[in-house]
Amino acid sequence: MDGDEEGVAGPMGDEAMFLNGGDDGRQQWRRIKAAMGSEQIDVEAYASLYIGRTKVMRLLFMAERCGNEGMQLEALRLAYDEIKKGGDSHLYREVAGKIAGRLGPQYTLDQAWADAIDRRAEQRKDKLDNELNGYRTNLIKESIRMGYNDLGDFYYAHGQLGDAFKNYVRTRDYCTTSKHIIQMCLNVILVSLELGQFLHVSNYVGKAEQTPESLDSITAAKLRCAAGLAYLEAKKYKLAARKFLETGPELGNNYTEVIAPQDVATYGGLCALASFDRTELKNKVIDNINFRNFLELVPEVRELIHDFYASRYASCLEYLENLKPNLLLDIHLHDHVEALYTQIRHKAIIQYTHPFSSVDLHTMAGAFKTNVSGLEKELEALITDNQIQARIDSHNKILYARHADQRNATFQRVRQTGVEFERDVKALLLRANLIKHEYNQRAAPRKV
Amino acid sequence: MDSVEALVAHVQALSGNPEEVSHLHSLLKQSEDSLRSQASRLFPFLEQLDPSKHSLGYLYLLEAYSSGPLLEEQASGYLLTVVEFIDSCSAEQIRLAPDKFTSVCKSFKDQVMQLEVAIRGVAPLRTAIRKLQTSSEHLTTLHPDFLLLCLLSKCYKAGLSILDDDIFEVDQPRDLFLYCYYGGMINIGLKRFHKALECLHNVVTAPMTSLNAIAVEAFKKYVLVSLIHNGQVPSFPKYTSGTAQRNLKNYTQPYTDLANCYATGKFSELETSIQTNIEKFQADNNLGLVRQVLSSLYKRNIQRLTQTYLTLSLQDIAGAAQLKTPREAEMHVLRMIQDGEIFATINQKDGMVSFHEDPEQYKTCEMIEHIDSSIQRLMALSKKLSSIDEHISCDPAYLTKIGRERQRFDFDDFDSVPHKFLQT
Amino acid sequence: MDLSQLQSALASKSYEKIADICDEVMLQVEAHHFPKVASRGIVFQEEWPYAIHLLGHIYVNDLNSARFLWKSIPQGIKESRPELVAAWKIGQCLWNRDYAGVYGAIRGFEWSPEVIGLVTTFLENYTKKMFQLLTSAYSTITVADVAHFMGMSEDDATNYALQQGWTLDSSSQMLTVSKPKITTEQKLDPSKLQRLTEFVFHLEH
Repeated sequence: MDGDEEGVAGPMGDEAMFLNGGDDGRQQWRRIKAAMGSEQIDVEAYASLYIGRTKVMRLLFMAERCGNEGMQLEALRLAYDEIKKGGDSHLYREVAGKIAGRLGPQYTLDQAWADAIDRRAEQRKDKLDNELNGYRTNLIKESIRMGYNDLGDFYYAHGQLGDAFKNYVRTRDYCTTSKHIIQMCLNVILVSLELGQFLHVSNYVGKAEQTPESLDSITAAKLRCAAGLAYLEAKKYKLAARKFLETGPELGNNYTEVIAPQDVATYGGLCALASFDRTELKNKVIDNINFRNFLELVPEVRELIHDFYASRYASCLEYLENLKPNLLLDIHLHDHVEALYTQIRHKAIIQYTHPFSSVDLHTMAGAFKTNVSGLEKELEALITDNQIQARIDSHNKILYARHADQRNATFQRVRQTGVEFERDVKALLLRANLIKHEYNQRAAPRKV
Repeated sequence: MDSVEALVAHVQALSGNPEEVSHLHSLLKQSEDSLRSQASRLFPFLEQLDPSKHSLGYLYLLEAYSSGPLLEEQASGYLLTVVEFIDSCSAEQIRLAPDKFTSVCKSFKDQVMQLEVAIRGVAPLRTAIRKLQTSSEHLTTLHPDFLLLCLLSKCYKAGLSILDDDIFEVDQPRDLFLYCYYGGMINIGLKRFHKALECLHNVVTAPMTSLNAIAVEAFKKYVLVSLIHNGQVPSFPKYTSGTAQRNLKNYTQPYTDLANCYATGKFSELETSIQTNIEKFQADNNLGLVRQVLSSLYKRNIQRLTQTYLTLSLQDIAGAAQLKTPREAEMHVLRMIQDGEIFATINQKDGMVSFHEDPEQYKTCEMIEHIDSSIQRLMALSKKLSSIDEHISCDPAYLTKIGRERQRFDFDDFDSVPHKFLQT
Repeated sequence: MDLSQLQSALASKSYEKIADICDEVMLQVEAHHFPKVASRGIVFQEEWPYAIHLLGHIYVNDLNSARFLWKSIPQGIKESRPELVAAWKIGQCLWNRDYAGVYGAIRGFEWSPEVIGLVTTFLENYTKKMFQLLTSAYSTITVADVAHFMGMSEDDATNYALQQGWTLDSSSQMLTVSKPKITTEQKLDPSKLQRLTEFVFHLEH
């Protein structure tokens, strides 16, 4: 398998020599890294990037999707441990059920613990309710806000997200400072992200950004990330890319209840690759000093972006292929992997063909790890979509760039426009006439 | 009894010059009721009149006669009289009483249709339209009747003489709906699909406050012809009435389904979709068009290939267009070359087809003549447009309506008026 | 029934006018021959030269009109007139793009003296048009196919093609098409300049 790839990648390297100026040392190194990327993900290391509920949710998602029992149990075990630190007995029972005794007696359902949690929760809820009622009768604004906030925190910790959302939103009427508003917004965003209510996410990002006082850089970075996630979910990859790319390095590990800096690099990098043109890629990604800090955390993504920019498509596609299994286990990205990959591949094909007046399809198929007839189909789709201006000589297996004759094209367009204008104006006059007729009819005195 | 004789005498005496005729017209109007009451005995009096000289009087008598009950044995004599009257009457005189003339022609058309000899009405109605209309841009209420007779008698080509005129003036919206619908059908029959689309488009996008059956039927055909001619159905332009936009698709579900299916380019799926609704298409009399939609898919698929390939094997063309054999693909390509739908050459030796760009270089005299005539037409059209625009801007009814909606005037509004006048 | 126009068109071999003449005469005749007695109409249809009318449409390649005319002819008349049926056979072949069938339909019938001129001229034009089509649509084509499309024997077809400058590879029986250079008129007359002036004037005002 490895040998095969070598054979295919070789000619590509030669072919594109003048473009990238081959340097063997780097390629060697890249191959090693690539091999590492395809290794199974280290679940524990992955989990350590996150805290709180997102850690659990990510682990559970992974457990469900990985299709590999060892990995599944590892993820469930870590999730179990994490849940036990908190107070979500519902989730606890669910995870214990999923483990189903496969991890030994240490990881079975501890009924007593769960019941105790429930009891304590009940008491705490009553206490918070009572306190809040007290504040409300006394009309102390700040206390009411804190009361609702405490209730929100409480519900969130116990996994009652709907109630948490409601209580956080209620604090809004009692916010007196920008700080309060930002806190409220961040809370709502946190809950909405887990609920999958991305419309709320964008809304509250907007509200937070509109506060009169300027945001501290950490909060600003958090909000960028949240907005990026909302755009990603809405499949607006270009906007998502912009948000992730604008995220400041101050983010660090300050938002790990939502996102790790590694994610910013991956999400932002892939979205940018899929949606940016070459100049944008250079200016906003490769030359972006802030974003470079993020990319350092995920060298594979950094490398594949550089490969793409330097037209080393075979290598770029190889990285992508290796990353794919892990990306499919990502709670936010999994749904978008195919779409992003297709767009990236299309972009690569378009860029590859761009500078040439003719391209040998055999060589090109090698560069894109496909066969000639498969490539023909891909090119056909892109040409039909008018993304590549070229024609395929299927007889000789060569792609020829198509330089449309400007003069003829203009004439053609002129004629077309003329025909349309004539047709539209005639139809318009006719309609005007009908409307006038109808108006006169109505205006005419009614004879009975 | 005497009054008819007296009237005939008046007609004979007062048909010389316009003043006389207008005097005669008022006399005729006064005696309308008495003429009607004696309808059945009027026929012999017609022989005392010359249809070309006494057209107006002749028309009144003929109209009164035709409003009465018509005996079967008199029918053919009466019809021949109408034909001769239409042929020889003076356009100037009959235009004084367009309603009477229309009524005579309509009853003539009804008779012809009842006798199932539609073809006999084609030439007379064509003449009648020409005499009745004040300009070729004027749509008379006889237009749809004429086209209907053309359709019934299968004299589609005869319909073109009228259809090729541009219509701008309309008396009755219903006339226009029917005219465009029948016109669409004639153009479809003669495979002048772009013209058919124009006609049907006018029906579909006409201002309407409630949906009518003509618009629904026109939309069905519009969908099918769009697919045959362009391979896709355009979305409603924004000037389409809300009524049409909201409701048309609900009434034409099988057609919208068909269009969606067509867009996938898959032959077998399209076939299945047609089979599911075949009874509906049949009931709508659209099965022939639906079949043409199906076979146009081959063409469309091949046309798409010309955008993508410089050369492609007949084998691959057959595959892409879902044809069974390379030979079948060759015949399709040949046919499309013959019809000027693609530019290509077939290489039998290698079993390949080379696709070419449109060889038109826009350098020939012919092409320049063509473009020049388009420019002339468009200039005339845009002059017309601005004159109508000015006309509407001065229309009191329009101004009252606009004035009500826009009460405050800006300084600019006043400023622009004198400018406009200065220019013209 | 006044068929003099038709007669003179046939006599002067202005075959392209026949369809329009027939259409118009038919409409006029129909309009003025209202059946005072019921049989008048049938007499008209008995007398009408349907075969010529149909061939007139076919001659100008107006297959739609030919088809509609055929549909409007009463069954009895179709059955009693073999020449009409034979004419329609040509129309059918053209309609179905049965390129070779057209020759069979024409040669398979003994045409009457009235129409023989029309049919022969049509056949000549058709053969020429087919050859033009082959010239524009093919770069190489087998001798067998040329014979098929041209309604000739293989030898005749080969000779015909060679005369037009095509070349033959006798081992594969494959002909290579030679495409004639098309020359087009590109000169303009000065009146266009006047038009251009008007046009610019229009744009500026």
